[in-house]
Amino acid sequence: MLDKKVIEDVLYAALSRGGDFAEIFLEDKYNANMRMVGGILENNISGKDYGVGIRILDKYNSIYAYTNDSSKENLIKVAKEAAQALNQGQVDVRLNLMKSNTTNYNPIKTFPSSISKKEKVDLLRRGYEAAKNYDDVISQVTVGYLEEEQNVLIANTDGLLVQDSRVRTRYSVQSVATKGNEMQVGYNAPGASMGYEFYDTIDVKDIANEASRIAKVAVNADHCPSGLMPVIIDNEFGGVLFHEACGHALEAEFVSKDTSAFANKLGQVVASPVVTAIDDGTMPNGWGTSNVDDEGTPTQRNVLIENGVLKSYLVDKLNGRRMNTSSTGSGRRQSYKFAPTSRMNNTYIDAGDSALDEMISNTEYGLYAKKLGGGSVDPATGDFNFAVMEGYIVKDGKILKPVRGATLIGNGVKVLELIDMVGNNLELGQGMCGASSGSIPTNVGQPSIRVKSLTVGGRKGDE
Amino acid sequence: MDHREFLIKLINKGQEKMEDVEAFLVKQKQLEIEIYKGDIDKYSVAESGGLSLRGSSNGKMGYSYTEKIEDDSIDMLIDDALENSKYIEGSSDEVIFSGSESYEDINYYNESLNQVPTQDKINFVINLEKEAYALDDRVFAVNTCVYQEFEGERYIVNSKGIDLYDKSNGGVTYISVVVKEGEDTKTGFSYRMFSDFGSLNYKDIAKEAVDSATSMLGAKNIKSDNYPIIFENTTFASLLAAFTPVFSADNVQKGLSLLKGKIGEEIASPILSIVDDPFLKDGFASRNFDDEGTASTFNKIIDNGKLENLAYNWKTANKEGVSSTGHASRSYKGSISTSPTNLYVLNGDMEINELMSMADNGLYINDLAGLHSGLNSVSGDFSLSASGYEIVDGEKKRPVNQITIAGNLYELFKDIVAIGDDLKFGLPSAGYIGSPSILIKSLSVSGE
Repeated sequence: MLDKKVIEDVLYAALSRGGDFAEIFLEDKYNANMRMVGGILENNISGKDYGVGIRILDKYNSIYAYTNDSSKENLIKVAKEAAQALNQGQVDVRLNLMKSNTTNYNPIKTFPSSISKKEKVDLLRRGYEAAKNYDDVISQVTVGYLEEEQNVLIANTDGLLVQDSRVRTRYSVQSVATKGNEMQVGYNAPGASMGYEFYDTIDVKDIANEASRIAKVAVNADHCPSGLMPVIIDNEFGGVLFHEACGHALEAEFVSKDTSAFANKLGQVVASPVVTAIDDGTMPNGWGTSNVDDEGTPTQRNVLIENGVLKSYLVDKLNGRRMNTSSTGSGRRQSYKFAPTSRMNNTYIDAGDSALDEMISNTEYGLYAKKLGGGSVDPATGDFNFAVMEGYIVKDGKILKPVRGATLIGNGVKVLELIDMVGNNLELGQGMCGASSGSIPTNVGQPSIRVKSLTVGGRKGDE
Repeated sequence: MDHREFLIKLINKGQEKMEDVEAFLVKQKQLEIEIYKGDIDKYSVAESGGLSLRGSSNGKMGYSYTEKIEDDSIDMLIDDALENSKYIEGSSDEVIFSGSESYEDINYYNESLNQVPTQDKINFVINLEKEAYALDDRVFAVNTCVYQEFEGERYIVNSKGIDLYDKSNGGVTYISVVVKEGEDTKTGFSYRMFSDFGSLNYKDIAKEAVDSATSMLGAKNIKSDNYPIIFENTTFASLLAAFTPVFSADNVQKGLSLLKGKIGEEIASPILSIVDDPFLKDGFASRNFDDEGTASTFNKIIDNGKLENLAYNWKTANKEGVSSTGHASRSYKGSISTSPTNLYVLNGDMEINELMSMADNGLYINDLAGLHSGLNSVSGDFSLSASGYEIVDGEKKRPVNQITIAGNLYELFKDIVAIGDDLKFGLPSAGYIGSPSILIKSLSVSGE
């Protein structure tokens, strides 16, 4: 992608006025998007993202510059401009870039670009028809198709030179159910670090039916009651609870500056003993998997919490310096336009031994949150919120009726101690996680869990 | 490289294979300085851009884009747009526009920003952080302290005769502080958008962030019930910003907004008026033409409670046989959509303490979280994590957090009781959205 000699010259230029580390990140990414609305293919766009990010570290300080122009002259110019932020002399480094090999966790069978657009349009139409024909209440369906192939080259003054290719595929269905003046939405969007063979592992009709099922449940549901109550959160995308409530606060970006609710707690009990949580960047073909992170460090499986005890943070190179610890392969970024920082890959609460039925039958009154939407957190306080896309009231150990429009709020430090049952049905769900280094694909996951008490925000009083 | 010449070459070549062709190019420059404990923690400079090509073949519009703006990319752009157009269905409504009769000639570029020495900007943001630490012993950390400048250039050139260019710039500075008292941790935030560096006062900005954090210390939730709610100006602006898709003609036509067939009808309290003003002085979404090259126009969206108009681009306008309102927007990676410019609620005449007297006993909300997930612009339903203060006998009292407020946008519009006189804009996202503080009759609050 770039000549070794050019890379070396750019890295030398980056250290022309001081600094102890320089890095180059070249990205060449092909994206194709299609969107079918109401059975009509409305959008069909493809294109190329292309650019180079140059980073200089000087102890704890970081300088970042990026450009679309990868000619040698321009890269050296950009590197020298970035170096202007420092005012020491040329650093004496002798580079001997050695290309490293990586383990391939994401084998690709069929590159999506090798499949005709016509076949992809047919794939969208199959999903559209299934979702639309699911029920008469379904008034609108939007189906999306995404493929991307991101090729990156990362080199730094530690002698690293590595290339990685990330192929990702995703299919999304949004169904709208209408009843009188009520409109409700159901959404389902599986994805993987796979090629077109992803569609051998899923049936788009199932994906579509599920989106329409959620919309139909919601449009027939009553408003959710409000107040503190036990909440059973189902598996798969329910893992967004851990992602928001704890995952972000375990990122070194906050821990290294002491602005995380989990800072200085390694080795301490931070969760109920039934909780073990893992971030695994090596999960084969996982939505958040890559062979190396965006700093070129091989990804790894990090046990974050083991039986309630805090074992590890998520660490990138820069924040690792402040914490005096090495990278956990967690330095990620959306693109060359972002300096990397500590982020999650595939993060989940590990399986326990309770059954979902058991959780429901042991709950006198509470909420069963079957599908969650997105959420957010303030990592400093740990206060989080997320939306319930599909929920049911549980009464006397049985599911009573569907409810809609609920939001769950709480505090990450407290909620981990309030998890009293962990299920045996671990599943992962796919999301896009937004933070300071941009929007990146991550898996969230968990088995069904029960939280003893959580604030449920709905529109009705207790019933 | 002369971008305009490059685009003309691309258009000419594109016309050999397609009927009408349009190139849209943006160039962006950015400067970002982040301070941590008195030092420059992050310093970032960037120049980047992207080019979108759209072209029609057999009346169907195909798109392609690249960030590699060089001669080698021309053939790929044209071939991909042509190939992509083949599969488009039922989109003959999307046509390339031939230009408006006249355009305003307002300058949105402030030369003075470039003339301020970088060291002054660095000193400013170092002082901002220092001031926050100095203001209160309870300030435990300043977790973000940033100075940012942006500059954008935009070119639209097409085969129907449009050849437009503009340039704009601005800056934003923001600070987030963490305060601690015993085990109690709270965060506070403040920001300023600016086009004139001289208008910035770091003392005010730091104080606002520290006050907003310390005033939340000791916050607790409140009994679940229905309460009268005052939304602080920028808090209502952020709620309105999340709901702006409901005013998009595209969403209305696709059955994704409940405003279908509502033009001319009363959808809100008669005291509510919302306008979209692309010529607003110091508006960070101001522009003389939109992303299809249509001249911008001032639009009333809601006039004394009545829905007056929606946001149209040419594709959605042609579907209804009307004209574009100049709201086309696009990123070079996407197709044409619509977005607001400077959209805001017109000031009422109540001062904030009059609003509190009217609320009598209720809640003053100055922060909402989960706006990207806890609301549904299709149904208008929302349930959001909130914080603020209790209002007792018309006065602002103890801080409240860990609550949610829930309701529905269309009911909320009708339940507006009074509007303040303190119009303020939030941080720009899709549009630059502003509002005065607003009193709502009642919303459902979940807490204790």
